Amino acid sequence: MFAITVDIILNSLVLGGIFVIMGVGLNIIYGLNRVMNLAHGALYALGAYFGFSVVAVGGNYFLALLIAPIIVGILGLVIERVLITPMRKRSMIYTLILTYGLMFVIDGLIKFFWGVETRFIHLPEFMQGTVSLGSASYPVFRLVILIGIAAVVAALMLLLGRTRLGINMRAASEIPEMVSACGVNVRGVQISGFVLGCMLAGTAGVLAGPLFTVFPIMGHDMLISSFVVVVIGGLGSLRGAVIAALMIGFVQTLAEFFITEMAMVIVYMLMALILVIKPLGILGEGKFE
Amino acid sequence: MKRILIIAASVLLALALAIPAVAADPVKIGVLVPLTGIVANGGKEMANGIDMAAKDKKTLLGRPIKLIVEDTRVKPAVAVSKAEKLVYQDKSVALIGVFSSGVGLALAKNIDKLNVPFVSTHVMTTKFYGLNPLVFRSGQLANDQTAVGNVEGILATPDLKKRKYYVLVHDYSWGHDAAKRFIALAKAKGVKVVNPDFDRAPIKTKNWSTYISKIKASGADGIYIALITDVIPRFMKQANEFGLMKTCRLVSGAAPGAVDLENAGTAGVGIFGASDYAWDLENFPGYQAKAKDWNTRYYKMYKAIPCDAAAHSYVGAMNLFKAIEKAGSTDPQKIAAAIRGISYDGPYGKVYICPGDNCMRNDAVLTETVKAPKNPYGATIYMKVLKVFPAKELGPPCKN
Repeated sequence: MFAITVDIILNSLVLGGIFVIMGVGLNIIYGLNRVMNLAHGALYALGAYFGFSVVAVGGNYFLALLIAPIIVGILGLVIERVLITPMRKRSMIYTLILTYGLMFVIDGLIKFFWGVETRFIHLPEFMQGTVSLGSASYPVFRLVILIGIAAVVAALMLLLGRTRLGINMRAASEIPEMVSACGVNVRGVQISGFVLGCMLAGTAGVLAGPLFTVFPIMGHDMLISSFVVVVIGGLGSLRGAVIAALMIGFVQTLAEFFITEMAMVIVYMLMALILVIKPLGILGEGKFE
Repeated sequence: MKRILIIAASVLLALALAIPAVAADPVKIGVLVPLTGIVANGGKEMANGIDMAAKDKKTLLGRPIKLIVEDTRVKPAVAVSKAEKLVYQDKSVALIGVFSSGVGLALAKNIDKLNVPFVSTHVMTTKFYGLNPLVFRSGQLANDQTAVGNVEGILATPDLKKRKYYVLVHDYSWGHDAAKRFIALAKAKGVKVVNPDFDRAPIKTKNWSTYISKIKASGADGIYIALITDVIPRFMKQANEFGLMKTCRLVSGAAPGAVDLENAGTAGVGIFGASDYAWDLENFPGYQAKAKDWNTRYYKMYKAIPCDAAAHSYVGAMNLFKAIEKAGSTDPQKIAAAIRGISYDGPYGKVYICPGDNCMRNDAVLTETVKAPKNPYGATIYMKVLKVFPAKELGPPCKN
């Protein structure tokens, strides 16, 4: 019983943790740019593929964890400058359709460059075993992922809470005009937010790649789950995204364990219920804190 | 007289010019395979097998063969609309392929309207027995046959026989059918199953950790899975991560895909199960020559490891081509009549379509995935043949 409880708690945290990184990334982009990035799942897949390639050419998994998000971030910068910027003054529906199309372009490029087959990211030897936790045992790799997720969340908290860029981001998400009046380059802050959101998608991809394996449309389901997180947590709310992601991680894992066929039904029913009670999500819209 | 000769010569010349045009009119075959989604690898292998058969056959009724390949995306609605396009627009005279029982059953439901023979090379549900005069299974084993192979294999292997099995399947018609067949037979033969209501995982499942926890909690030390072939190595990889495979042995209702097996590396070792084909048949007495020839030519043509998906698609296509030749026509009813009872001697021995239920009977192999010895195909993991089942051992009896 203890072993199963440990499994369920840690599995929920791993799943919820991946949702945290995805949901927060999506919310940073929305909060600062008012862009609902439907290509977020495809960027997550790209992160996983770049991670796979780094390892495949002889690099270390930790190197992949460093390089892949940077490449996805650079790609995010290009997307922002070339595609999003010209659409900024238009209604949000334009960027919604644009990023929806972009998702398919990225899917196609993945198939073109990496093919359609499933890829496995091979891990260092020491991460392939299990570790004893009392009478339970748990895969070392999943614990490393948990540490990785915690590190990413801690770095985000530091960035948003203790750095000038982070403070500007938080301010710009609420009253951009005021921030601009204070002499802050709001456009620069918005671009940084977009790139950061893309890097988070890439990071989630490299973390999830060895967990779920790597394949071209791996981002589709993740995009849907991320949206559930964002909607439950509140559009643009980072703290809301963290709470919602962990909640979804636990609800989904428990439901899969006890009533498998109803697992996703329960997740969506929970979303519907929360929206009925709190239409703007748990913490409401735009609480970028 | 001179005028008559000129007219006659002109008519003959016109006919001579017209005949090659008619002869060059190809016999079109609609190929329905998944080329995107989680079984894209399997779809590619299916398309390769059918393409190889067309290249081997070269012509049908003295006309070239034209394969028109469409992607089903493993979605029933997509497959039906692609089939309509293949028949109504492209004028295909038969449909072949189809991965997934759900897709196959959806197509079968529409086959009277389409009015062409449909030869499935991959549908395993037992609902296909005698389903429709235009619907055939040719190539892949059915779930009841796989269950016989697997249960017999378990009983013949002391280490497997004493184990308690947890049954985990994909949540759609094939998975349910496979689970029911296995559990019923296991019960009858004294093989222990810990979850007779079996566990159903959605097809989109990527994270198997919860299912692995459930297997651990059940106390099972054997696992019977009916998961889509490309997913098996993924499941194995995660099961290995959790240390599950240290205590459990795994029996599979479907053979793992060759490419995925390679990509999974050593995580794919230890999958035990019955299937139609494994390239290791080239080392098995009675099948050596034909299997070796087929493997060598397949590898040469596609630079890919010979695999069961390609082999039974090849066999299915050969049965269809032979039937069209036998019918001497592209009339759908005549082709369908000719498929019933047709037989073909191919890479896994002689197969035949039972006229009583439109489904194929063939020998099958019991295999276990192990590290491969040096081989010409560059495989590092392979399905080692442990035993060959003669067709009549697998059943069901063919009633004419």
